Formats: sequence, C-alpha cells, structure tokens
Amino acid sequence: MKLINIFKISLGVAIISMATSCETYLDVNENPNNPQDAPISGLMTNATYETSLNVYRIGSITSNYVQYLASPNPGTSSDIMEPINYSGTWFSLYDVMTDLTDLIRKAEESGANHHLGAGKVLMALNLGMTVDIWGSVPYSEGFNFTSVTPVYDNDQQLYTEILSLLDQAIANLSGPTSISIGGDDFIFNGNVSKWIKFANMLKARNLLHTSGSASYNPNEVLTALSNGFTANADDAKVDFFEQRFNPWAQIAINNQNLLLGGWISTQFIEALDGTSYPASDPRLPLMVGRTNAGQFVGVENGAGRGNAPESGARSTLIPGQFYTSTQSPVLIATFAEQKFIEAEAAFASDKGRAYQAYLDGISAHMQMLGVSSVAQQAYLQDPSVSMGEANFTIDAVFKEKWVALFLHPETWNDARRFDYGYKDMTTPQNLNPALNGQFIRRLAYPDSEVSRNGKNVPEVTLLDRIWWDQ
Amino acid sequence: MKRRFTNLVLFFTLFVLAIPVNAQQFTVKGKVTTQEDGGPLPGVSVLIRNTTTGTVSDIDGNFSLNLPTGNETLSFSFIGFETQNIAVGNRSTINVVMRQDISQLSEVVVTAFGIEQDKKALGYAAQSIGAEAISRTKQANLVNSLQGQVAGVQVTNSGGAPGQSARIIIRGINSLDPSADNQPLFVVDGVPVDNSTIESSGTPRGLTNRVADINPNDIESMSVLKGAAATALYGVRAANGAVIITTKKGKEGQVRVDFASSVGFDEINQYPGFQNKYGQGFSGVYDPNSFWPAWGAPISEVAQTVDGHRYQDNWRGAMQTGVQIDNSVSISGGSEKATFYGSFGRLDQEGVIPFSDWDRTTAKLSGQIKVSEKFNFAGSINFSNSGGKRVPHDRFMERLVYWSETTDINDYIKPDGTMVSVGSNTNPLYDARFATYEDDVNRVIGNISFNYSPADWVTFSYRLGNDFYSDSRTEITPGPKGIDGEQALSATGFLEETRINSRDLTSNFYVTLKKQFNDDWNTTLRFGNDVFERKFDRLTSRGENFVIPEFYNLSNTSQIFANQGKSIRRLVGFYGDLMVDYKNLLFLNITGRNDISSTLPKDNNSFFYPSVNLGYVFSESVSLPSWITFGKLRASWAQVGKDTNPHILGATYSSPNVFPLNGQVGFTRFSRFGDPMLRPEQTTSLEFGTQLAFFDNKIGLDVTYYKSNAKDQIIPVPVSDATGFSSYVTNAGEIQNDGIEIVLNATPIKRGDFRWDVTANLSMNNNEIKSIREGIDEIVLGSQFGYVGSTVTMKLVEGQAYGNIYGSSYQRYYANGTPEGLQVLDRNRPQIIGANGFPLRNANQLILGNAVPKWFGGLRNQFSYKSFDLSMLIDFRTNVEQYNQFDNFLSAFGIAKYTENREESIVFDGVLADGSANNQEVWLGQGVGPDGRNYGAGFYRNTYRGVSENFVQDASFIKLRNITLAYNLSPDLLEKTPFRTARFSVAANNIILYTPWDGFDPESFSAGAGGNAIGFTGLGFPGVQSVFFTLNLGL
Repeated sequence: MKLINIFKISLGVAIISMATSCETYLDVNENPNNPQDAPISGLMTNATYETSLNVYRIGSITSNYVQYLASPNPGTSSDIMEPINYSGTWFSLYDVMTDLTDLIRKAEESGANHHLGAGKVLMALNLGMTVDIWGSVPYSEGFNFTSVTPVYDNDQQLYTEILSLLDQAIANLSGPTSISIGGDDFIFNGNVSKWIKFANMLKARNLLHTSGSASYNPNEVLTALSNGFTANADDAKVDFFEQRFNPWAQIAINNQNLLLGGWISTQFIEALDGTSYPASDPRLPLMVGRTNAGQFVGVENGAGRGNAPESGARSTLIPGQFYTSTQSPVLIATFAEQKFIEAEAAFASDKGRAYQAYLDGISAHMQMLGVSSVAQQAYLQDPSVSMGEANFTIDAVFKEKWVALFLHPETWNDARRFDYGYKDMTTPQNLNPALNGQFIRRLAYPDSEVSRNGKNVPEVTLLDRIWWDQ
Repeated sequence: MKRRFTNLVLFFTLFVLAIPVNAQQFTVKGKVTTQEDGGPLPGVSVLIRNTTTGTVSDIDGNFSLNLPTGNETLSFSFIGFETQNIAVGNRSTINVVMRQDISQLSEVVVTAFGIEQDKKALGYAAQSIGAEAISRTKQANLVNSLQGQVAGVQVTNSGGAPGQSARIIIRGINSLDPSADNQPLFVVDGVPVDNSTIESSGTPRGLTNRVADINPNDIESMSVLKGAAATALYGVRAANGAVIITTKKGKEGQVRVDFASSVGFDEINQYPGFQNKYGQGFSGVYDPNSFWPAWGAPISEVAQTVDGHRYQDNWRGAMQTGVQIDNSVSISGGSEKATFYGSFGRLDQEGVIPFSDWDRTTAKLSGQIKVSEKFNFAGSINFSNSGGKRVPHDRFMERLVYWSETTDINDYIKPDGTMVSVGSNTNPLYDARFATYEDDVNRVIGNISFNYSPADWVTFSYRLGNDFYSDSRTEITPGPKGIDGEQALSATGFLEETRINSRDLTSNFYVTLKKQFNDDWNTTLRFGNDVFERKFDRLTSRGENFVIPEFYNLSNTSQIFANQGKSIRRLVGFYGDLMVDYKNLLFLNITGRNDISSTLPKDNNSFFYPSVNLGYVFSESVSLPSWITFGKLRASWAQVGKDTNPHILGATYSSPNVFPLNGQVGFTRFSRFGDPMLRPEQTTSLEFGTQLAFFDNKIGLDVTYYKSNAKDQIIPVPVSDATGFSSYVTNAGEIQNDGIEIVLNATPIKRGDFRWDVTANLSMNNNEIKSIREGIDEIVLGSQFGYVGSTVTMKLVEGQAYGNIYGSSYQRYYANGTPEGLQVLDRNRPQIIGANGFPLRNANQLILGNAVPKWFGGLRNQFSYKSFDLSMLIDFRTNVEQYNQFDNFLSAFGIAKYTENREESIVFDGVLADGSANNQEVWLGQGVGPDGRNYGAGFYRNTYRGVSENFVQDASFIKLRNITLAYNLSPDLLEKTPFRTARFSVAANNIILYTPWDGFDPESFSAGAGGNAIGFTGLGFPGVQSVFFTLNLGL
C-alpha cells in the first residue's frame, strides 16, 4: 500500500500544480484576428468609405425605378417594381450606423468634437437614406444590443432626429476639438468648414423632402442653404482608388465582360437626345456609351433588349467616362443638387432667384462633367432650356435635377414627390400586377428583418407611402 | 454454456497443455495460416475434440500433436476466428486456413483510447469493419469505405472529383449551427486527427477532407463509436461520435512483404435526359451567333442547309474516362521483443472532367518494443503528400449548359492560345484548363506511447500525438494575352496564394488499475488526463491585373490584397472510467469526465459529465430454447458537454479586406457578438439494445434504439442588423434525434467449400428542432439559386425536422381557400390553372421536401468457393429529397429531354380558381403558336423554370456500391512460387444505380463535406462508376 500512498501524493501535487498552470495555459482565447477596440480614425475611414458605397448601393436600386437604367432582360424584378429582398443593403446601412454609434461615443469620451460632428452628419445621412426607402425603421433601440428585436421607430419622428443630429453636428464642428480630422476622412480630407457646409446642405435636402407636408417651410430650406455649398469644390464625394475601382466603373467593366449590367433606359436617352425635349444635351455622350453604329439607343424598362445581342447594339455605361472611370468619385451631395433645391424652395416666393438657381444648377453639373463652354452656352441658350422666368416651371427644375443627379438615390425621393411626373415617363412594361398600374412608393422590408425581427416589422405594401410622400 | 466452454478451452490452452499425455501412437503435423493474408497464425489452440488434450501453434503457425489412433477430430480455435473441426482420417499433415469470424459474437471492438474489448462486455452499440472490408471497397478516401457498412452511419460522397470530400454523419445532426461540423472525431492509433475540409473561397472546386490523406491499405480496422456512452472518454471532441482507426502492425515471426497494385477506370454513372432534337437559337429560329444553346430550330431541318450542323453530344464529349492507379508496398515483421511495420503508397487519379487530378504519396513507419515484461513503448510516423488540380466543376457544368448543342465543345482553343467561344459563351474546357486551382498538402501524423506495469494490477500509459499539415494552394485565372479580338477568361486576371498551417498536439496520460475480488467480481479502473491543442494559421495573398501576361507571380500584379486568420484552441480533460464485470454476465461501466476549454468564458469553461452503461448476458443465467445461442440486453445513459469555436466571445472590430486605401486602415464593428456568459452545450443520450444469436451462431441480430437531446446549443442566432450585430452566439435551442438501428448477420449456407455470408444493416432517424429562441422564427442554413424565383432555401424552423427545403410551388386548390399558416406543400392537390391556360405559381415559401434520408442501410453478400470469393455491397437511402439545380438550368435552356414536347399543345391538368376543370388548350413552344397566340418565351421559360417544386425531387437510391470477384492462388500452387499469397480481383463500384432522380448521381451535393446545406446538388462534379483490377502479392 505504500506505493499507492506515494502515488496518491504525487497525483495530488500534479493535479494542484496543473490546476494553476492550467489557467494560464487555457487563457488563449483573445481574438488574434480582430482587435477588441478600434481607433476613432479607423472608424472614420471605414464610415466615410462605406457611406459613399451606401449611396451607390441605393442608387443601384433606384436607378431602374427612375428609369436611368433598364435591365437587358424582360420582366426583371428591378425594372417591373416587384418586391425584392434587399437584406444586403439593409445590412450595409446598419453596419455603418453601428460604426457611427461607436465613433460618436468615442468622440464624445475623448472630446474629439470634429469627429463627433462629422459622425453625426454621416449618421443623419445614412439614417435619412434608410428612412427614405423603407419608412419606419429601428433606431432608438438599435446599435447597442439593448434588444435582440429592436422596435421600429415612426418615420416622421426619425426625421426630427435627423434634423436634430445635423444641428448638433454643426455646433460640434464649429467648436474646438481634441483630435483633428485628417486623411482618415475620405470625403473632405479633414476640411471642417466643408463638413459644416455639407451639414447645412443635408439639412436643406431633408427639409425639402417634407414639401408635401403641413410643416414644410421653404424659408427654412433657404436659410440652411445660405450656409451650404458655394461651389463644385465643396461637393461631398469619395474619389475611388487604384486598388478599388469605382463601383459604377466596375459595372461598366463587368458589362464589357458580358456580365450584363448598366444598360441605359430609353427614357433617359430620349430625354437627352432631342426626342422628348427640343434641345440635344451635350452631356449625353459624356455619361453613356454609344452603339457600334455610333447611336444612342436605350432599352425600355421591363421590356428587355428583345433580339439585340449582348453588346454593341444598345447604350450602356462604359468604362472611362465621368461616372465610370476606375477612380471616379461616388457623389454624395453636390453643389448642382443644392442649386436645384434652391430653385424649388424659392420657386413660390422668389421666382427670379429660382430661375437663376436652375440655370446655375445646370452649369454646375456641366462643369463637373467637363462640357466645353461652347457646348454649355449652346445648351443653356436653347429656348427650351432658358425659357425665361415667365415660362419657367417646376417641371423644368425636376427634369434638369434628374439629369444632374444621374444614378443618385436622391432622384427617387424627387420622383415620388413629383409623382413620377417626368415628361413621357410611363410605368414599365410587364409592371408588377400588384401595383395596379401605379409606380412603386417604397421598398419591401428585407427578408432578414422579417425572419429575425418579424413581430416588429410593419405590414406594408409597395404602394404605401412613407410619411413625407403625401 | 457454449461461451463458458470456449473460455475454458482458452484457459487450458494457456496453462494446462504442458501436461504430458498418455502413450501416443500417431503424429499429425501442419501449419495454421490466415485466410486474409496467408500469414502464419501463432497461438491457435489445437485440441482433440471434446477433450482437453492438445497443443498450440508456434510462432510460424506450425503444430505437431500425438494422437492415440489417428481417427480423431481436431478442433482449431483462436479468438476472432471461426473454430474449425477437422477429421484427421489418418493423415499425417493437416494445413489449416483460419477464417475470421464475422459473426458479431466474438467480435473484438476497439473502443476509446484504443482499448480492445470483447463486444459482449459493451453496454452500447459499436460496430467495426476490418482491413478486407475496407480495401475491398476500392475507395481512395477512407471515409467512403464506411458507406453502407455500418448501421446509423451515413456517408455521402460530395461528388466524383478526384480527391473530393466525403461527409459522414452518425445518428443525425446534433447542432442548429449552420456552420457546425457535425462529423465524428477520427482517431488513428489513439491520436485524434484532423478531418476538416477547407473549401476554395471562390467557385466550388471539390476539395479534400483531411482523412483522405491516410492510405487505406495501412488500415487494420475501423470501429465506429456511435453514442455519447461510447465516446464519453474522448470528451467534447467526440460529441458527434468517433471513428477509431487502428493501423496495421508488425507481427512476431518472419518478415513479410505485401504488394498491392490496382488500376481503375471511371465513367459518369448517370446522365440527365437530354433532348437532341433542337439546336442553337431562340424561338425556334436557328442563329449561329445566339447565346441560346437549344431553343432554336430542329437540328435535322437546319442540317439540310447548313453543312456539318448536327447534335454534338457535348455532354458526353466533354468528359473523359477517369483513371486511377494505386500501388502500395508494406514490409512488416518482428521478434518477441520488437515488431515493425513500414509502407509506401502512391495513388494517382485523373477525373472524368478533363484537367482534374489528385495524387497521394504516403509513407509510414511504426514499431513496438517490449523492453521488459513491465515496460514497452511504441511509436509511429506517417507522412503524406497529397493534392491536385481542382477544376471549377460548378462553373464547368454551368457553361456546358450554355454551350451550343450543335458546336463541338472540344474545339476550344485557337492556334494563338486564345479561346474559341460561341455566342460569347466561355468554353468550359478552356476555362478548366487555364483557370487553375492546385493544392499541395504535406502532412505528418505521429505518436509515441509507452506502458509501464510495475505490478500486474497497475499500468501507467502515456501517449503523445501530433498531427501537422501545411496546405499550399495556388489559384490562377489568366488575364488577357493582349491578342486582338480575344475573349479572355477575366479582364484583369488574378493570382491567389493561400498558405495554411495547422498543428494538433494531444497528450494523454492514464492509469489502469485491475482488481479481481473473487471468481465472480472483476473490476478495472482507469483515470487520467488529456490535453489537446490546435493551432491554425491561414494566410492569403491575392494579386490582380498582371503586368506581363502569363507570368504568374504576385510581384507581377498591380493590385495586391492580403488576409490572415489565426486561431488557437486548447482543452484539458480529466477522466475516470470504472468497469465492473460480474460472473462474465453482468457488465457495468461508469465514466466521468471534466473538460476545461479555452474557448468558453473563464467562469463557465470547466464542465463535468457522466455516463453509465450496463450489459446483461441473459443467455448465461436464464434457460432459453436451444435455438437461441446467445442473448444480451444493454442500456446506457450518457451526457456529453461541448465547447465552441475559439475566439468568438464578446464584441470585436475587424478591418475589411479592402484596406489599406490611401494609406488608411478602416475598422468596422465585427457583425458577430459572442455572449460573454456562454455556457457549454449539453447533449443527453439514452440507448437501449439487444444482441442475439440463433441456431448455433448462424444468425446474429443486433437492435438498438437511441434518443439524444442536445440542449443549450451554442449557435449564432441571426439577429436584426439593427441591433449592431448580425449574429449573436449564445446558448439557445434544442434539437432531438431518435432512431433505430438493426444489424443482421447470417450464414445461410456453409457446406463443404462453399459458404455464403450475409450482413445487413438498416437505420432510421427522426429529427426534430424542439426550440430555437424566443422571437427568432428560423435559422437559414443556406440557399441555392434557381431561375425567376425558384431559388430554394434550407431553413431550421421550430417543430420541424432538420433538412427541410423551402421554395415556390404551383398554386393548389382548396375548396375553402388556402388554410392559414400552411407550411407544407401538398402535391396531391389539384393545381390551379390561370386564365391564360397555364398553371399559376405560388411564391410563398413552402416545405417541398427534406434532404436528410429517413431510412438508409446496406446489404453485403459474400460467397466463397474454394479459391474464389465474390462479394456484393448494396446500399440504399429513402425518404429524401434534394434540389436539382441542374434540372432548373436544363429546363430554362431547353436542354432537358422533357422540353422536346415544345411544339405540342396540351390542356394542363388542374382546376380554375373557382374549382371547375380546366379545358383550355395551350401551346408549349416559344413565339406565335399554331393557334395564332403569342406565347413569348414559352412555357418552360415563362412558367416551369420559376417553380421550385419542379426541381425538388425524390433523391432516394439503391446502389450496387461494390461487387468484387477474387481468385486466391491455392497453397499448393503457391508452394511452387516465391509468394506466400497471391490474389487477383476484379471490382466494380456503382455500376447499378436505381433512382427516380433525373440527373447526375443524386449523391453529390454542393456544400462539400464540411457544409450542412446537403439539400442542394448544385452543378456539382458528377458521380462516377468504376471498374478496378487489383493484384495482391505477399512474400
């Protein structure tokens, strides 16, 4: 039995020493791939980059609805306004808003007021885009894992939040800061005065959305604009990279490789080539490609390309143009758009100012595209464009804004406010029968929300309008 | 009584036979060899029947015995072999070939830690297969050799590519985590080894599960431990069961050399039905530049005006005969003190899709040294190199769909090296040849172990094991060559280099204490400590845009992206195992294990779980009818805890791959959040069974019922993205499996030189998802594309079974309207036909089928007559549906055989919305029909391809998995040769496939062995049938 005793003792010692060394031996679970914390500048970099992509992502959804683009295939869901599951876009928007929540918290903790302000501007922008396409969405219970099934906040209340965020942002950006923004900011490269202008411009854009509501006051829009952009140089945009191509450029490249996409709608071609309007627009050849025969030929939304081959017979986005060069910017908000906001807001109170803003908006966009001054003058002097203050209509503002905001998601907001009243715009071929011959008014909530947060997701149809679209 | 007799016999062979016996008149001599390899069998007891007089065979298998008369009958017996009774008949030489006993009764099963136990003593079901049953299947992948052979074990080959992974599931899926690996632990000679399958990141390439690195020729046996009771000692890592592999060892005696050489040929075993009437074009109009391969005019019509226009049969034309050549040589032997085994193996395999191949080189050396009666040690090292060219099979098969039916697919390359394309479609052969993906795996599995017994009641055992591999992968897609007018595979081209390093270390120390209290009570107690560590590192660099065409080096690319993933997991376990044996008729086994895992939160990372099992051999204590030879009842209850993957706790940030951009690195909050209070999972299982033998062991029957509940599952619960995360890893949900396993053995005929053995197994499994988490309705396992809304999804939904496939269907008529909350499609109800005369589509996602077979099993028949033996293995599965994505494509492109009726007019069977019968005649073709109506793209494109129901099809099958005819050179012929054994065999695999499935072999699926979305066959590598010629020689 002696042996047993020695054995017991040694086993006991072994177990005790093992238990203590065990703890350190097993303490290896800290994630070696992902850090526990992220620097404020890293969050800023990703948030500015992804925000520009969110503008692209929503633009790629809405461009078929506003008939910039059309599918080469007949009856494609995006053309004919069927409910489509945009879980990916929803994720991207909430992903950025989550990062912005962290950025705002960290900036507050460290007194980085400029990051704080920029974070709030971006939050307002992303939240605004989300509300504009889906209406009521989660926000107050969002981002911090307070609830596994966050409630949906009323879309009108969220608009109050958006405007409040922008006001706070302007205040934060106007004060001192402990850390300066710099190259981590892909939009303005740390230029705080541009951030302040951008915040004001966004305020004007969101106030304008409410034009159909009782609370709308055009003077508020004009006040905000007075502190907004002053030139194209102020545009909020992200220039793309040698390593990462502009997403529209990628679509054009893919289309060239027969992964079809970026085909131009007949509506757009005919609005610019002199068919729908008397003036032939010099911007058209700078925005879209020609057929092999040197023509501009579109595809009718919902109808498909018919017997046309995969390439050469229709106009598409082609690599190397203003919107589609590998390092082209993705435009978030432009001076040109601001001029059209001014034109619309001033239209009732000061038609002269409105008319001038309308013309300035066109020139701003033409300068952006690099239209020669001769061609600019020729177009601007065409009587159908410069019709004079007396004949100037709000339709002209919407039409030119539609052209100047090519591929931009803001156009769908305009289109809904304008009741898709663009000249010659009709519902697509093979329209989703559930729409009863009407245009789409919102997106369906994504499947990911329905399956994960079903009890909170509002019951809506594609014809239910969001709060400002009345 | 018979068992007791056998034991007595054994006892006497060991101790009593030295007693000299009476005066002898007659001497008989001979040699005992094994049927398996012709080697000598030492230690065989040779007794004069019904006496205790006899001897044992020596180290060379020789024996010599003096007999009183020469007319006695001798009884040859040895554990694990059939007892043979041979009348001497005054012969002076009797050579005996001992045959392995395949009846379950005397089966020795290797259980946890390589402990060999008599199956009789086990309180749980276990089944094992031996070297012959493994090698006979001719499977290059060891996992595949279990197909159809073991009850409760479902093995699915993920496709016919050389080296492609096979998936093994024991007793159903036990996890709600879509990414969980539900496969068992593989243990080689006591060392757990890695069996992961790391799929390619881009298009599927059919990669290998790591157990395929092992040369099947080196394997002595495989035991399958199914339930938690059987695997309790292995702890968390064997929560899905364990496959215990024992490799061949050297045996005492002369040195033996064995050669095995085999050549095999593969062909695709089943094709879908193709139409060969219509060619390239659309709307019934021929167009040589059309994108559409088969919606054109009838080929015979066009052929009258277009020279050489004919159906090319590209589906068969694009494929080739696969060839596999497998050679191995082993050398083994040893003395009383030491034994060794060494082997080399080389397998070369070329697939049926051109440019696909895989090879494996293995080298193994193992040895055991008995230093003294008290101390022995052993070691083993196994090196392997494997890898091959992995063709993008999904893309290949998809592009075959697009390829013009009337253009020769083998004419794919121009003299300048650029691609020949039709209708701007990529030629799949060109793509397979130049868009390459190669892997190269070097792996070393080794172990060293010792046993020290200072006294006969105590043994200290220690084993250190190592499994290290590096996997080096290179993917190349060429960019343009810069030749005018070329259609390049990619506008930029890219090169991706992946380096994976994985190392497993295991250490296992245990003490065995044995005590025999008296004749009736025997106890064994084991306790010990087990440590495991896995370090994994994966580094990927991708370069895009080649500066110089066709020069493939990262420094020749203008954009470079890099990415790294590391992990480390450690486990420490303490365990105890008490076995009590009362009178050799009641067996009790109690185990307990405590695991501590690095992957769980510190406060919850230590967890204990017990098991108990009981076996009762009632035939030893109850008097039974004489035709019942043996009877045993067994029951077990066991719990097993389970940890999780490393590095998942809490919230983290990640840097997306796109950075750095402009010298900046962005960060985003990682979308997965791991519950900081995570607890271990707990599975409780219950098992009852019986083992019976009848008619003098001619028939054996083993029946098992099991039920297991996995609770507190650690799963990534998908949560609203608005929470700040997309998935929340937490304890949630419960999944239940219960089922029955039946194994039947019989020897219906055993007469003279003829013998017929049958082994059958049958398994049934029920699965139910008992709960997920409040507020979460479903977990999506995966989805697979189908045209215009026919995409199908596999979802886990509370109250439903694992494996359900959801998708769109035809609308069905219910007199009182479709019931609220309808979940399952009722295919028997009449379809609703729309006003346009075509069936209406229901976009609501209904359950269209289930991809987990309810019943499966196998049947082996084995015949032997003199030097010949014939064996057949049939396996089947039923009550299983899968999504036939191929069929979806074939219908959309007018290639499926059934689309040949496109010029017919029919009345669809069904009712109108008001319930009245449909009688509207419609045309199935494209464009304007004979009735003057414009049918647009036609029925198959407008309606048929968009309804998932059409493509979720019965995937049951019966397969003749293997048939082998072998000739063994008889001993008298062998004496004239230098060989100890010689065997020649012809085998065929999968030559008969009986299935209602219209397509390639339904066994293939897209996800690969590691994935759980088994309901999607995708456009996978088609299954094959094979013929093998094999020669085995022994020196």
